[in-house]
Amino acid sequence: MKAFHTFCVVLLVFGSVSEAKFDDFEDEEDIVEYDDNDFAEFEDVMEDSVTESPQRVIITEDDEDETTVELEGQDENQEGDFEDADTQGDTESEPYDDEEFEGYEDKPDTSSSKNKDPITIVDVPAHLQNSWESYYLEILMVTGLLAYIMNYIIGKNKNSRLAQAWFNTHRELLESNFTLVGDDGTNKEATSTGKLNQENEHIYNLWCSGRVCCEGMLIQLRFLKRQDLLNVLARMMRPVSDQVQIKVTMNDEDMDTYVFAVGTRKALVRLQKEMQDLSEFCSDKPKSGAKYGLPDSLAILSEMGEVTDGMMDTKMVHFLTHYADKIESVHFSDQFSGPKIMQEEGQPLKLPDTKRTLLFTFNVPGSGNTYPKDMEALLPLMNMVIYSIDKAKKFRLNREGKQKADKNRARVEENFLKLTHVQRQEAAQSRREEKKRAEKERIMNEEDPEKQRRLEEAALRREQKKLEKKQMKMKQIKVKAM
Amino acid sequence: MSTNNMSDPRRPNKVLRYKPPPSECNPALDDPTPDYMNLLGMIFSMCGLMLKLKWCAWVAVYCSFISFANSRSSEDTKQMMSSFILTPLSCLRLSISAVVMSYLQNPQPMTPPW
Repeated sequence: MKAFHTFCVVLLVFGSVSEAKFDDFEDEEDIVEYDDNDFAEFEDVMEDSVTESPQRVIITEDDEDETTVELEGQDENQEGDFEDADTQGDTESEPYDDEEFEGYEDKPDTSSSKNKDPITIVDVPAHLQNSWESYYLEILMVTGLLAYIMNYIIGKNKNSRLAQAWFNTHRELLESNFTLVGDDGTNKEATSTGKLNQENEHIYNLWCSGRVCCEGMLIQLRFLKRQDLLNVLARMMRPVSDQVQIKVTMNDEDMDTYVFAVGTRKALVRLQKEMQDLSEFCSDKPKSGAKYGLPDSLAILSEMGEVTDGMMDTKMVHFLTHYADKIESVHFSDQFSGPKIMQEEGQPLKLPDTKRTLLFTFNVPGSGNTYPKDMEALLPLMNMVIYSIDKAKKFRLNREGKQKADKNRARVEENFLKLTHVQRQEAAQSRREEKKRAEKERIMNEEDPEKQRRLEEAALRREQKKLEKKQMKMKQIKVKAM
Repeated sequence: MSTNNMSDPRRPNKVLRYKPPPSECNPALDDPTPDYMNLLGMIFSMCGLMLKLKWCAWVAVYCSFISFANSRSSEDTKQMMSSFILTPLSCLRLSISAVVMSYLQNPQPMTPPW
């Protein structure tokens, strides 16, 4: 049954293909009336071709051999017809018969003298040759597509293996620290799925929850797009690393109010521009951490010196120095609200919601050429994360620090209100005008003239009252000023 | 109740469920590649069909493949039937039909520009 179907399809395709070729033939200048009588048709063609068009070439060989006729747009199937027409008493062919027996060398002369036209031997164009070689571009394209598909499968598998290797290495540590390891939010009960959520072919999520101090921890494995061939080629120019991003949401009572970041200089500069809280609270440029024993590659952004002193204890410094090549950025903040949002014009915004969070971004070693065993190198970094969570709970600012922090936050809020003040005023003004307009319309639409008059009077009275109130206020202010 | 280092830090009573982050603005911010490739694929396949240019149709097929490989969040489709996966697939279908149509109309091989 299937073979029959494929046979039908193939027939259809060939039918349409040959139909297309017939189209070409018919479109040409010498449009021949297509008769059932094949001979009549080709007789006419032969006469016309001999006398009129010099481009059409008729090369005839010995009668015993097969006559090969080469005409533009002609199929080889029609050869047979020509042969028949040739040998079946065509008056034109008789002179040829005489000359043919004279031998080969005379043939070109005689045929040329007969035709009075130069014979041009035309090369059969590539697109008429029925060989696979002429389709080399198509074959190239299909090979390219196949290569893309192969790369997709290989890349996807590699990413998935890396993710699994990471999870296997870290599973024990996570399970000993969190009740819920792995949740995709769909189950009715809060049970650990024990699996990563695959968001994409290159992004894997893991949600852990159920620990002291923190609400939860979201780990995101952001691998390179190994499934996309273009990306793979681009990466050959510019090596990039896989990244592991960890976001710990802290309870409100378990973290004091400060903003602090440590990381590579490039990463900190970028974060300072992008992140709302870092740009507002840490206005200085990233400072070197050499004072605390950090390597040169790392820099510090902090709200207050006291915070840096408190954060950079020996164990933290030990972590940072030993694994400096894998750390991209570490960001603790009580005012974290994500990257800066581009505000639309004329829309007064409230201050974005803030959450106390610890953010970590680590680079997987190997800078692109990672193997599953490289994931073990990241385990100490997870230890650092756990340590940081406990430390954030323990670390408290002293009185001075707290006052400074509160002042900073009040200042930021005030600035924000000032910026949006104009916009909020405009919004209020427009609302008032809308109300007035609605009232006027109501009055106009009122059909009863009596009612109309009464409403108008009521509106007038209201306006007068307002004016009076304003005047009273001004007077009061003047009196107070005096 | 204080916790010292020896005791278990886990607190089963403080478990919070995972909430997928609100994705209204995020998809646009993250990575525009699949959308661009989708659009390009549609344009090229239309060009290929209308102007009977074979290379346009092939480029459209490539674009739709790239768009599919870069497509985001395969989970959403099961729940929301959003347009994330629907458009790459439809682009693929359109581009393949463009290639097939241009070969049925004109079965000659492509000529290189050189």
